[in-house]
Amino acid sequence: MHDARDAEDSRLLDAHDHAKLLATYYPVILERCRVRLRDPDAWEVAHAVVDRLLRELSRGKRYPVPFRVVVHKVIDWKIKEHFAGGSGETLPEEWDAPGPDAYAEFEERFDLGRLFARLPERDGEVMRLRYLDLLEPAEVAALLGISANAVHQALWRGHQALRESAGG
Amino acid sequence: MADGVSRLFDEYAVAWRRGERPDARAYMERAGSGRAELAELIDAFLSRALVPAPDEETVALVEAWAAGEPPLLALRVRRGLRREAVVEALLAALGLASGKRAKVARYYHELESGLLDPAGVSRSVFEALGETLRARAADLQSWRPRPPEAVAAAFLRAAEPAAAKPAAPAPAQPKEEWDEIDELFRGARPA
Repeated sequence: MHDARDAEDSRLLDAHDHAKLLATYYPVILERCRVRLRDPDAWEVAHAVVDRLLRELSRGKRYPVPFRVVVHKVIDWKIKEHFAGGSGETLPEEWDAPGPDAYAEFEERFDLGRLFARLPERDGEVMRLRYLDLLEPAEVAALLGISANAVHQALWRGHQALRESAGG
Repeated sequence: MADGVSRLFDEYAVAWRRGERPDARAYMERAGSGRAELAELIDAFLSRALVPAPDEETVALVEAWAAGEPPLLALRVRRGLRREAVVEALLAALGLASGKRAKVARYYHELESGLLDPAGVSRSVFEALGETLRARAADLQSWRPRPPEAVAAAFLRAAEPAAAKPAAPAPAQPKEEWDEIDELFRGARPA
């Protein structure tokens, strides 16, 4: 589901348009930090994430995984670093190792569509229609020929699975 | 997981996917005792969800920040507004007397130049600035100038001329009585 985004990110990387690339992710960086931390810590960590990415991009670093995966991993590391009170945690060395299959695990953790595909078929279909196609619950019920309550229950189970996947 | 948390998440996730930039903190406040559950859910969602293309203002703010320029100043310049116009708008929006203009101007200068910690500035100030600068108050609140050492270590479109340079610090002012302007820009009166 991220193919178009990944292609655009690759184009921006090739064009060295780092501002547009980072501006794409700034809202989600800030929002994830706000969810995990109180202000003003959230702002500081968000800017530490952007600063880290900008430094790496400026040095010409290229990544073996889509840029969005790098962004979310750096957010995770910076938040962890904040709570640990440490400084200067670096990206794991293995990120530079060859072999694209080695990164399937990372990608799996950062794709809503893949998570929905792992759910029981009906629940995954309801989640996909609601959050990828943006249908109203009544529309989902009509399309799948199920009751509104069944949609509600499928969404609840999907939310539970999403939350449990967070530690993934 | 509580039913209310599930409903709040649904509302948030759909708004995010529609590109409405919902504020997670508002939803977490509404969640009450389910705040931690909702936070986990939103975080898991955001780390997997599609991100929309950025608007021009966000790109301009990132460019300014990366170059070491105060983002608030860059946004004002981009809007073609003089600082005096922003100060007038603040006085009007916050219902302040014109006699407070000089003090508001001094605080705004400090905020714009990165000399004032935005953490102490009232949300109502950022909401008024958001109206004036046609930007999201929550975004304005989050931006502050990039530390000079970070700027020196990186480059971003280094060949391009800077849009705006940070202003020099305002001269020191004589000691004044603490008033509502101080509260708006610095928070509660110090003990």
